[in-house]
Amino acid sequence: MNRLSNTLKGATALALALSATQAMAQDWNAELGDYAGTTLRVQTIQDPFIDALKGMTPTFTGFTGAEVTVEGFGYDPLHEKQILSCSQKDNQYDVLFVDGIWLGEFVDAGCIEPVADRVAAADPAIMAMDDYVPSFAGQASWNGTLQCLPIAGYWHLMHYRKDLFDAAGLKAPTTFAELAAAAKYFAEEDGDPEMAGVAMNFQRGSAAGQNFFEWIYSGGGKPWESNFPGSAEPYADQTPLFNSPESVALVQFFKDMVPFGPPGVESFAWDERANAFMQGKVAMINAWSVQTPMFNDPATSKVAGKFDVAMFPHAEGATSVPPVGGWVMCINAHSEQKDAAWDFMKWFANPATHKDFVLAGGPPSRVSAMTDADITAAQFWVPTLYESAKLAWSELRPRHAATFEMIDALGLQVNRAIVGEAAPQEAMDEANAAITEILTDAGYLK
Amino acid sequence: MAQLAASTALAPALRAPADPERRAMLVFIVPAVIYLLLLSVFPFIYSVYLSLHDAKLTQMARKKFVGFENYVDLLTDPLFLKSIQNTAVLTVGSIALEVILAFFCAKVFLSLKENRTGQVMRSMAILPMMITPICVGLIFGYILNPTLGIANYLLSGVGIDGPSWFGDPAWALPTVIAINVWQWTPFMMLLMLAGLVSIPSSLYEAAELEGAKWHHVARWIELPAIRDVILIGIILRVIDNLKLFDIVYVTTRGGRSDATELVTFFTYRQQFQFFKVGYGSAAAVIILLISILVTTIAVKYLRRMQK
Repeated sequence: MNRLSNTLKGATALALALSATQAMAQDWNAELGDYAGTTLRVQTIQDPFIDALKGMTPTFTGFTGAEVTVEGFGYDPLHEKQILSCSQKDNQYDVLFVDGIWLGEFVDAGCIEPVADRVAAADPAIMAMDDYVPSFAGQASWNGTLQCLPIAGYWHLMHYRKDLFDAAGLKAPTTFAELAAAAKYFAEEDGDPEMAGVAMNFQRGSAAGQNFFEWIYSGGGKPWESNFPGSAEPYADQTPLFNSPESVALVQFFKDMVPFGPPGVESFAWDERANAFMQGKVAMINAWSVQTPMFNDPATSKVAGKFDVAMFPHAEGATSVPPVGGWVMCINAHSEQKDAAWDFMKWFANPATHKDFVLAGGPPSRVSAMTDADITAAQFWVPTLYESAKLAWSELRPRHAATFEMIDALGLQVNRAIVGEAAPQEAMDEANAAITEILTDAGYLK
Repeated sequence: MAQLAASTALAPALRAPADPERRAMLVFIVPAVIYLLLLSVFPFIYSVYLSLHDAKLTQMARKKFVGFENYVDLLTDPLFLKSIQNTAVLTVGSIALEVILAFFCAKVFLSLKENRTGQVMRSMAILPMMITPICVGLIFGYILNPTLGIANYLLSGVGIDGPSWFGDPAWALPTVIAINVWQWTPFMMLLMLAGLVSIPSSLYEAAELEGAKWHHVARWIELPAIRDVILIGIILRVIDNLKLFDIVYVTTRGGRSDATELVTFFTYRQQFQFFKVGYGSAAAVIILLISILVTTIAVKYLRRMQK
């Protein structure tokens, strides 16, 4: 009976999606250009949404005649390839998915063509710019100009094993202290020697560096002087505060969580953390929402149907500031098919297409998607995601040209503290000194 | 007047050689010289040029000449110095183990000689060096994963709590060395086997008559006979180890902390993650100088031994 009901629900959703697409078909035929015989190349991250993206492209081909190829790369290789291609004025790709935190670097290097003018000239009803979730929409702009479209927003959620928490009579942690207590319980007291309490990104480099930025605001601190939630000019004073009492306390908290993590957690990055959770080896992880559908897929996960999500926890006396990130869709400045690229972006970012994308497994970036009845019925985590999105801070991580080096230097020292090679205060003093030098060399600090 | 005299003197040298034999020699040499200039000399000179500038790939128009500042910064950069130390430990540790293991393996294969089993085993033994290093890194990354890997699962079966192979600073570099040794011992073994095969059987017969034990044979006959081969193998492996990158890139990314930061990985991060091409080029030039120095010393030593 359940299966029949689910099948009917699925068929109804599919029929609705198809009818929505057909209803829009007439409009799109008039709105989009004829690109028959051309091939549009999209370069993106190899994240779980890539299949949903690929699955959408035949519809665009139907409207315009343009073939669309989508190529995915790992995080670091994508950054390298995009910058190197840009330096060679490579026109191989027309549409680039760029991490919001790379935007300053890409704009400085002249790799992307701003979309502000194209958006201004387009039909406001199609673009629906006010519909984007503000905390992510900000990552599509740099130097006060809209550079790209904020197409794939991620927010951090606390994923926890509801079955285990219910059995233990525990509630999802809302504070760091509750998180530590729950982690200790599952690591040491629940009677399952295979189960760890919590896993975080502690691997040296980007993983540990970004982990710091993800937690610092909810820990009551800030990474540099003028960067705090709601700051009108977050880059006005970049005096680093990586050795502030709040920063050092946060790193001490990370270190305290190591004994409650799975073996080898000191070298965990995104994939290791997700795999440990999906294999049922850890009771809690904080993770980007783009991975949530993967956790709930019985084909890939042993914990499908056994977990729930909660808001990002916070330190006592602080408030939750969930991390925000994700991918903005940009026009390659060196593309020779910019109009076709823009038409693809305009079509893909439209609220109706975006809904189809989200239902196919893509991450929602629009308020209309996060509050859509079909989507919330199909994806139980979306209401909590929307609450997280409301509290997130767009400038959580640095987004200028020295971002990569700064995060790497920070990640080295955070990892040193976590593995016990240096005391947290000593490591963060070194991180602060190294970042001060990087920012001074780059001209961001006088 | 003096100018005219000079140009008259230079003219024959610039003119095409009349001798057909010399002309033929030039025809063969010039392509090689052009090849060398384009693919070796020019990139090297350009690297040196970049190393004297404060340059970022994303802002090349704004590069500025800084003299030897990048070199001074590098030699006071604790991470670069640590990377040199790690590379030295990796090189010495890997090669020492490879030579010892390869010698014993070569002895085993020598004793099996043309035996069918020996031939099959020899073919199987060289399989590791045929695998792409990036795949080797991935394979061992899965095997040694402390949560999901087979290694710790098997160890737990015999009551041993396996370590965090790449996550423990005491284990990270030794683990990378072990993977490197696993992949390249067959190469050293093949070289030594070729050397051992060429030893005249009369020497073995004489040693047997004298009642020499296996270690006497190894010490007084085999090792002296294959000394040159071993040294050539060491030179090649030193160069290889100075370039080792893939395994670290896949398994540790230079961690835990800075335990496996190698000079190649350091340079890669400067060049391709931070796009600091000036600083990265300076690091590349230093690696090249170290490589030339080590190789020159080894070759001189080899020549002295041959004399």
